[in-house]
Amino acid sequence: MEIPVATNGMEVVYRKPSTLTETPFHYCPGCGHGVAHRLLMEVVEEMGIQEKTIGVAPVGCSVFAYHYMNIDMQEAAHGRACAVATGIKRVMPDRFVFSYQGDGDLAAIGTGETIHTVNRGENILVVFINNAIYGMTGGQMAPTTLLGMVTSTTPYGREQPVMGFPLKITDLIAQLPGSYYVTRQAVHTPATVRKTKKAFRTAFEYQQHKKGTCFVEVVSNCPSGWKMTPVESNEWMEKNMFPAYPLGDLKVPHPILSQV
Amino acid sequence: MMAEGAIQAGCKFFAGYPITPATGVFKTMVDQLPSSGGVALSAPDEISAIAYCIGASMRGFKAMTATSGPGWALMIESVQYALITETPLVVALVQRLGPSTGGATQGGQGDVLLAEFCTSGGYTIPILCPTTANECFELSILAFTWAEIFRTPVILLSDKETGMTIESIDYSRLSKSTSQNRPTNFAFRDIGEFKKEQRRGTYYFDSLHEIPAFAPVGGDRKVTATGSAHDKQGRLQKNSPETIDVLLHLEEKIHWRSDDFSVVKADLQSGAKRLVVSYGVTSRAARDAVLKARSSGRKVSSLTIQSLFPVPARKISEAMEGVEEVIVAEENFRGLYRSVIERHCNGRKVRGVNKIGGMITPQEILSAITG
Repeated sequence: MEIPVATNGMEVVYRKPSTLTETPFHYCPGCGHGVAHRLLMEVVEEMGIQEKTIGVAPVGCSVFAYHYMNIDMQEAAHGRACAVATGIKRVMPDRFVFSYQGDGDLAAIGTGETIHTVNRGENILVVFINNAIYGMTGGQMAPTTLLGMVTSTTPYGREQPVMGFPLKITDLIAQLPGSYYVTRQAVHTPATVRKTKKAFRTAFEYQQHKKGTCFVEVVSNCPSGWKMTPVESNEWMEKNMFPAYPLGDLKVPHPILSQV
Repeated sequence: MMAEGAIQAGCKFFAGYPITPATGVFKTMVDQLPSSGGVALSAPDEISAIAYCIGASMRGFKAMTATSGPGWALMIESVQYALITETPLVVALVQRLGPSTGGATQGGQGDVLLAEFCTSGGYTIPILCPTTANECFELSILAFTWAEIFRTPVILLSDKETGMTIESIDYSRLSKSTSQNRPTNFAFRDIGEFKKEQRRGTYYFDSLHEIPAFAPVGGDRKVTATGSAHDKQGRLQKNSPETIDVLLHLEEKIHWRSDDFSVVKADLQSGAKRLVVSYGVTSRAARDAVLKARSSGRKVSSLTIQSLFPVPARKISEAMEGVEEVIVAEENFRGLYRSVIERHCNGRKVRGVNKIGGMITPQEILSAITG
């Protein structure tokens, strides 16, 4: 869509990447999915790999990722994204393959697929959006839900003796020898957005050089599920989510080994 | 109401995983079960959810889980396990449009045969199908009774509209009965009284249709359970005569009592040449259509089937007396239940009113009645 504005003598510094479709995002106001989608697609555009990139979407809010990402997108059955991505990558090793999954999909019903995919060192990128709740089905407790956090299935807050601890699956992933690059980022400020984009870029470059599984967690918000305004949810995330899920790299390649 | 019925029935254990349109049952259970002395757990997937329930039921707790088509697909493994280990269990299956992830917020009646024929061997699993909020409550209690006294998984098969519609009901008129309990000769005693020898174990029966008395795990005697084919003590055996008997018994205990499982609502008109058969939410459209047809002077009968399986063959035959044509209305495109009851129609003409992607309207059924 061309917007008729006078641009004589002006330089375009910000525009929608061609790898996103014209479809407006359906996500709730303030949700981090839209930013994460965009960053991923900006990287695909900048690397010039639109025709070579295949994404696998989960069941959950981002089930509609194919509406927005203008690349081949497969939606897998709930929890099976990493397994489907494995099949795609094994028969087309020259393509860039990623899965894009939420906490329920990746860390609950798909735990087995996730762990074994990383353990095999499948040469794919796994994008993990962690907002500590099931968004699409109406805000139920997820494995990553914080202790004390109120959800529709923990109406009095998550109690550890009954519902266990928040699952730090990214820390677990970093322990597996098959993972090559594991990082935890966010998308709620300009600085975190830049870092996340860099993480996606790094991961795709490692994939190009067949380094193994790259795993990028994006700690995000769910204003609807958390019953907060977008601003409140970001503040709450900084105050509560980041101490439990500290941002930063969990596993970076050895400097010598990583020379590509 | 399915959840409230379950609590009324004495359900003390629930485990679930979020899935539209069954999440309402899950949320109600999480809200209400702990305060009535029960346990409600969130599981990391449907495979775990139903397995939690089986574990609780093996101790003697009345247990339930709730799901929809995609989750049911994952539960089938453990439903078979519950069947062969004769573990009482209620699964509330709230249908949505399939296949696969299908239409999460779109209703359907396409899981009828997937629910019934989910076992290797095609064992009969009793299925109850409510039409209204009241029936969700009442049939939920009945589902527990059947599960308990026949030691079998029972499916409470509803659909998105029946499961999620907000309806007014008269609480005072609801049946306040609880469900019956499983037959047991065995008490749950202290560990000190544990007896190592198995005496007439968990699966003992004399004649094939007999329901073996339940013995809890953690009870006063050693109890074993296995998903493998087993003898009357629950020990793995391949094809010994006793093991074949146990496998036949699993079906015979239901088949022998099939008339006990008949729950239908018959609205028959003498002299009617056409009979409308329906179940679930479609029955509400069928009722409207039948009333409209009668008000315009046509004679037509209606049969709402609440116990889909085992097929209430006798009740169906009774309803068909004098009928020349049977119309089966259901929200799937192949006429799934029609294919099951056709063999009970004794050569009568059988027609389907079928649709997917939306509820069948009274007008569509009326057209079939008058057409």
